[in-house]
Amino acid sequence: MDTFLQIVANGLMLGGLFAIVAVGLTLIFGIVKVINFAHGEFLMVGMYLSFLLSTGLDVHPYLTAAAVAPALFVLGALTQRLLIQPLMSARDEHVQIFATVGLSTALMNLALLIFGADIANTPAHGVRSQVMLGEVRILTGQLWVFAAAVALVIGLQLFMKKTRTGRAIRATAQNRAAARLMGINDKFIYILTFGIGAACVGLGSSLIAPLYPTSPTIGTYFVLIAFVCVVLGGLGSIPGAFFGALVIGLVDALSGFYIGSDLREAVVFTIFLLILILKPSGLFGTRMNLSHVSP
Amino acid sequence: MTETTMTRASDTPMTAHRLGLIAVAVLLAGLVAVPVAVGDQFVYHIFITICIFAALSTAWNIVGGYAGQLSLGHAIFYGIGGYAGVILVNLGISPWIGMFAGAAVAVVAAIVVSWPCFRLHGPFFALATIAFLEVFRVLALHFRELTGGATGLMIPLKIGWEWMVFRERLPALLIAFGMLLVCLAVAWAIRSHRLGFYLVATRERESAAKAAGVGTVKVRLMAVAVSAALSAMVGTFHAMYLTFIEPESMFSLQFSIQIAMFALIGGIGTVWGPLLGAVLLVPITEFARGALGSEAIGLHGFVYGVVLMLVVLFLPNGIMGLVHRFTAAPGKTVGEQAAPVAAAPRSAVPREAGREVMRIEGLQKHFGGLHVTNDVGFTLREGEILGVIGPNGAGKTTVFNMLSGFLKPDEGKVSVLSPSGEWQQPVTPGDFASLGVGRTFQIVQPFAAMTVEENIMVGAFHRHPHVGDAREAARETAHRMGLGPYLNAEASSLTIGGLKRLEVARVMAMEPRILLLDEVMAGINQTDVRRAVDLMLSIRDTGVSIIAIEHVMQAVMSLSDRVIVINSGQIIAQGDPHDVVRDEHVIEAYLGKDFTHA
Amino acid sequence: MLEVKNVDAGYGSTVILQDVSLHVEPGEVVTIVGANGAGKTTLLRTISGLVTPRTGSITFEGRDITKLAAHETVDRGVTLIPEGRQLFPDMTVRDNLLMGAYSRHARDYQDDTLRQVLELFPRLRERLDQHASSLSGGEQQMVAIARGMMARPKLLMFDEPSLGLAPIIVAQVFEVIAQVAATGTTVLIVEQNVFHTLKAADRGYVLENGRMVLSDDAEALLQNDHVRQAYLGI
Repeated sequence: MDTFLQIVANGLMLGGLFAIVAVGLTLIFGIVKVINFAHGEFLMVGMYLSFLLSTGLDVHPYLTAAAVAPALFVLGALTQRLLIQPLMSARDEHVQIFATVGLSTALMNLALLIFGADIANTPAHGVRSQVMLGEVRILTGQLWVFAAAVALVIGLQLFMKKTRTGRAIRATAQNRAAARLMGINDKFIYILTFGIGAACVGLGSSLIAPLYPTSPTIGTYFVLIAFVCVVLGGLGSIPGAFFGALVIGLVDALSGFYIGSDLREAVVFTIFLLILILKPSGLFGTRMNLSHVSP
Repeated sequence: MTETTMTRASDTPMTAHRLGLIAVAVLLAGLVAVPVAVGDQFVYHIFITICIFAALSTAWNIVGGYAGQLSLGHAIFYGIGGYAGVILVNLGISPWIGMFAGAAVAVVAAIVVSWPCFRLHGPFFALATIAFLEVFRVLALHFRELTGGATGLMIPLKIGWEWMVFRERLPALLIAFGMLLVCLAVAWAIRSHRLGFYLVATRERESAAKAAGVGTVKVRLMAVAVSAALSAMVGTFHAMYLTFIEPESMFSLQFSIQIAMFALIGGIGTVWGPLLGAVLLVPITEFARGALGSEAIGLHGFVYGVVLMLVVLFLPNGIMGLVHRFTAAPGKTVGEQAAPVAAAPRSAVPREAGREVMRIEGLQKHFGGLHVTNDVGFTLREGEILGVIGPNGAGKTTVFNMLSGFLKPDEGKVSVLSPSGEWQQPVTPGDFASLGVGRTFQIVQPFAAMTVEENIMVGAFHRHPHVGDAREAARETAHRMGLGPYLNAEASSLTIGGLKRLEVARVMAMEPRILLLDEVMAGINQTDVRRAVDLMLSIRDTGVSIIAIEHVMQAVMSLSDRVIVINSGQIIAQGDPHDVVRDEHVIEAYLGKDFTHA
Repeated sequence: MLEVKNVDAGYGSTVILQDVSLHVEPGEVVTIVGANGAGKTTLLRTISGLVTPRTGSITFEGRDITKLAAHETVDRGVTLIPEGRQLFPDMTVRDNLLMGAYSRHARDYQDDTLRQVLELFPRLRERLDQHASSLSGGEQQMVAIARGMMARPKLLMFDEPSLGLAPIIVAQVFEVIAQVAATGTTVLIVEQNVFHTLKAADRGYVLENGRMVLSDDAEALLQNDHVRQAYLGI
């Protein structure tokens, strides 16, 4: 039983980690309606920045978030403005896909060029110390990540529901033409949203860096998992992405233990495929989120 | 009756076309000639790699380009081919046989993987293929006894043509080149025959393709199967060439992306594009790797990524797109459709309506809480023109959708008289098409990437499976519709009047017995309206029954034998056009209650 | 107040409007009628900035607004109530109305305007917390008009307000439009429903196949044979 609880705890903590990455992704998809294949590379860039800043300035990696999140915001905003915006009226769907795939490839290989294939370990500054919750062992860093994920979700929901800008963002997602007629600058909204989505990942990367080894290819793994969480939770739904992430975290941990560590990914992706094929609106999605399936 | 002049578009495309073919032939010859001439092992290696990538990219393009399904997991098939070959070689079976075994497995995998995913839109289809790829990779790592797991598999070093392993590079080059030729031949054959047309049509406007009788799922499955088989066969050879394989490199996401990338950069959806893309980019990689070594690991990948973004932003049709721009014929494409319509010879078909050919009974449809169709029922008689009018938003197109298989009624029946005289109840757009029911769409849906002639051919294929016959039939239909001079023009360059006529032409090429026209007169000028009316009357005279939704009153009056008025989803009047139009309820629906007394 | 001069406009390579001119004076109710496909919606979209004219000019209150983007014309005081309502389906009625007051000159007066608008549309008070997509067609049209009013527009444009509505609701909609005009807002209506709109308007234009073919007082147009022909072909 203890083992089971430990695995559940591991799964939930993992879920918190996935959630931070997934939340930004679902925001971008829900509003801008773009699948950002480079989202994982955003995380990777953020992790390397955290690594550089915390080792260079000898500070706690969490503090680097103050610089990393804004830096990622700029990266996201530029991606939207320079890469996505010119392509938004493109007739063919494949154009947008190739654009973010190209960005993903370029960023990953740039990291490879600069840092080589070696792994970079961000100093832990105590976040890897263990804490006991009853019989279950958790790393303090994992708790912080989980707390940050919850705070992020609540913060974003409040922002979207209660602020004027948040409402404007939701309006643009629901009816872009009508939003323009309200006086909303849709181009600006998209840039802002992409920036916020990237900043979320930036915040997360500072929290993840001391827990995970950083390498140029780490983005691919995380982005695929994030996509699974997003689709599971219902595209565009922030709470959905959070709960989807928790589910996937649990699935990952449980299947890792009971089925086999090397088959974890296969289980997660099989679930992904089943959801896409059988219930594309996800566990929590509404009919509005079905823009990715033909009737 | 006037003859339409058969002005051909200028001769430039013909010469450019011939020049292009010569250029390609030279390029292909060069792929073998250059390494043989240079004789250096490394150069051989580069050219073999070019051939491999070009072949894979060409195979990918059948799915990603023609069918428009962006697969980012194509390494699945390549990997299956590789592993099949190596496993069988280790069992003593020649890779020439292993190649076909691998292809068979790949085809099965392809169908299983793609079929459920076709309904997913672009990026999600891509994501699904990535997910499948990852599953394969993980499984390949897991089933160690079969695949050797992470440590990989080696092939026994048996030299000779039977084993595809050689001491010199030339034979390997010849095999690689041979496979490239096979892939190119297959790609070219598909594009120039019915399957290719159907694939492009499905990619461009799936609903219009369905209405033209295309089995959209079937053709995509065929494309996927062919592509998978080819990829697997190349995979088998490449495995022999590499002599060592393991899951990471055989089921690699980056590899899948590269294959797709070459096709895009060269020109997605064209026959030669992937070849060009590979020829251009592979040498860069290999030279970088050779010259800069491990110093610059990641440099070629970085270059690929940047080039991809630049191409997407500035050259979305790739190199082939650039080539087309420079060789495009400056034909007469825009402007008034001045060609008078050649009416078909009026046969001696009597003008009175004949037997019933279509029966609509008690149609009901709800969209959520909205009752959009309320007890709609009427009949269509042979040789009749039935006009359907009603205010905007009254539900006319919804009814049409139910009469062509695009929407299922909640209640009610739609029955069509088959050519052999039995009443049948078609369900899918394909069923309706087979029974001879053709429809146009309110928002014109040309297949933009094809010429006018090719657009019409998509409809003609319904009756004439052979490409030559279909082309003949399409040309004939084009002339009847007054589109003769525009046969070689890009469909997207027509005016709205021309597009409407193209829409009708495509349907007429299917030789329908019943024609459903959705607002074909909307948005065209007066002269075109008159011509369209003449055209429609001549179509009817050939024995076709027509139901036409129209707003242009002048057209409705002069065309219709009978008129039905639909308002708020219900039929509020039926009968002779002149009577219906004076009906109180009709005037009220169109102009408002008080106007009836004005 | 609004001056449209020799405007050509369209989508892609298709030209819809050809050499269109019209003017609207402050406080007037002007209507544009025409058959389906004549270009009426394109005309309003061009004025509001969703479509950029290829030639010609559009001036509002003496200032050129030809090249302005949609969200900028709203700031100048030109608000369009689009065809088919176009509400924000997953937002409440209240949030929809608040979105209407997004533009800079309207947002500071948001609460006052909301109060005024609810007086004009008392039935919406009960619906404030309902999701917009759950309302009936007629109620949605009321929300759309109210939302337009929230922008405190100087010129309010209606694109086919009667579209898809039952006749009795259409009458109510036009009553509301009359009330809106009575508050002093200048109104431009595009409609297929000729009678109601000509009854409500001071002046009218007839648009056919992208060209202005008639322009007169509303009364005169009602009696005009060509107008009747354009709709019934008699």
